[in-house]
Amino acid sequence: MEILQFFWTIFYINFFTIGGGYVMLPLLQREVVDHHHWLSTREFADSIAVGQVTPGPLTIMNAFIGSKIFGFWGALGAVVFSYLPSIILVTLASHYYLKFKSSRIVAASFSGIRPAVIGLLGAVALTLFRASVVDLPTGLIAAGAFALLVLAKVEPTLVILGAGVAGALIY
Amino acid sequence: MKEGVSVKEIFKVFLKIGTFAFGGVYSMLAFFERELVTKKEWLTHEEFAESVVIGQMTPGPPIVNTGIFIGYSLRKLAGALATVIGQVLPSFLLVLVLSFLYIKFREIALVQAVLKGIGAAVVGLLASVIYKMGAKLLKRPKNILFAVLAFLGLAAFKLNPIGLIVAAGLAGLLMFGGE
Repeated sequence: MEILQFFWTIFYINFFTIGGGYVMLPLLQREVVDHHHWLSTREFADSIAVGQVTPGPLTIMNAFIGSKIFGFWGALGAVVFSYLPSIILVTLASHYYLKFKSSRIVAASFSGIRPAVIGLLGAVALTLFRASVVDLPTGLIAAGAFALLVLAKVEPTLVILGAGVAGALIY
Repeated sequence: MKEGVSVKEIFKVFLKIGTFAFGGVYSMLAFFERELVTKKEWLTHEEFAESVVIGQMTPGPPIVNTGIFIGYSLRKLAGALATVIGQVLPSFLLVLVLSFLYIKFREIALVQAVLKGIGAAVVGLLASVIYKMGAKLLKRPKNILFAVLAFLGLAAFKLNPIGLIVAAGLAGLLMFGGE
């Protein structure tokens, strides 16, 4: 059953989403795009956009992916299996909070993981760049989005909606 | 943590958070603090800070995890589930609508044009995330080395990113464990 394989993929990816929500992207891209071919790279970029324009964490993009491949049940299952690892692990962590808090092991591992995540995201950005930035206008939109987000600190939701309007006007 | 908060109340507050929480982690945490610490007084500032740390140190989205920790502290598993369902429900419904529209209308030329613009913006968005994280985290040569190796591992050698994360964690333990 392909849908079960999809749920399992979502489930274990979320176990390894350590150090922020964006860590999910390289893992998802490998499984959903490269390995199972459930989505093209462009569709993967669209999913990120959906995750970004909706309120709450990016993780909800998994529901979009599930819906795209398997319909409603794919979406619902994707949400359940996205958050199941969080519920299990955080519940355990709250239970053993005092031990966890004093754990220097966790803190030290994180100081290795956090910078590595930046490199992994760089690799994802490179793949998306090749698929989405195909001519001068798309290059300008990408550069403009970067500048608005970094320099002017505009809300990401607005930037994505604005880019959609720009796309409609240009093409 | 305040005693006697009902699961229904927890659900209602987190539904509000899930509906209006746009933007990055920090704007969402500010929203949490205003609702839960200042308005409802369910937890103290210290307890809130602790839940943020737990949220960031556990796998999964930090915001949801912070909520689960708070919900669990207030009303055990039922409280934890109420925070997740409340936070996720609004965006889940929105995603269902968007995916329906996407599948139905994506072949139309205008929608194609919109998606082309959005796809390019996502590249800029990711670049901005990388830039912001980099400005904060890549201050020491050791950290830059971790980032470069992870990038090469995935982009050039197509290694499994889960393996790379685990390896980075172990290497971090060896290099920073004594600090």
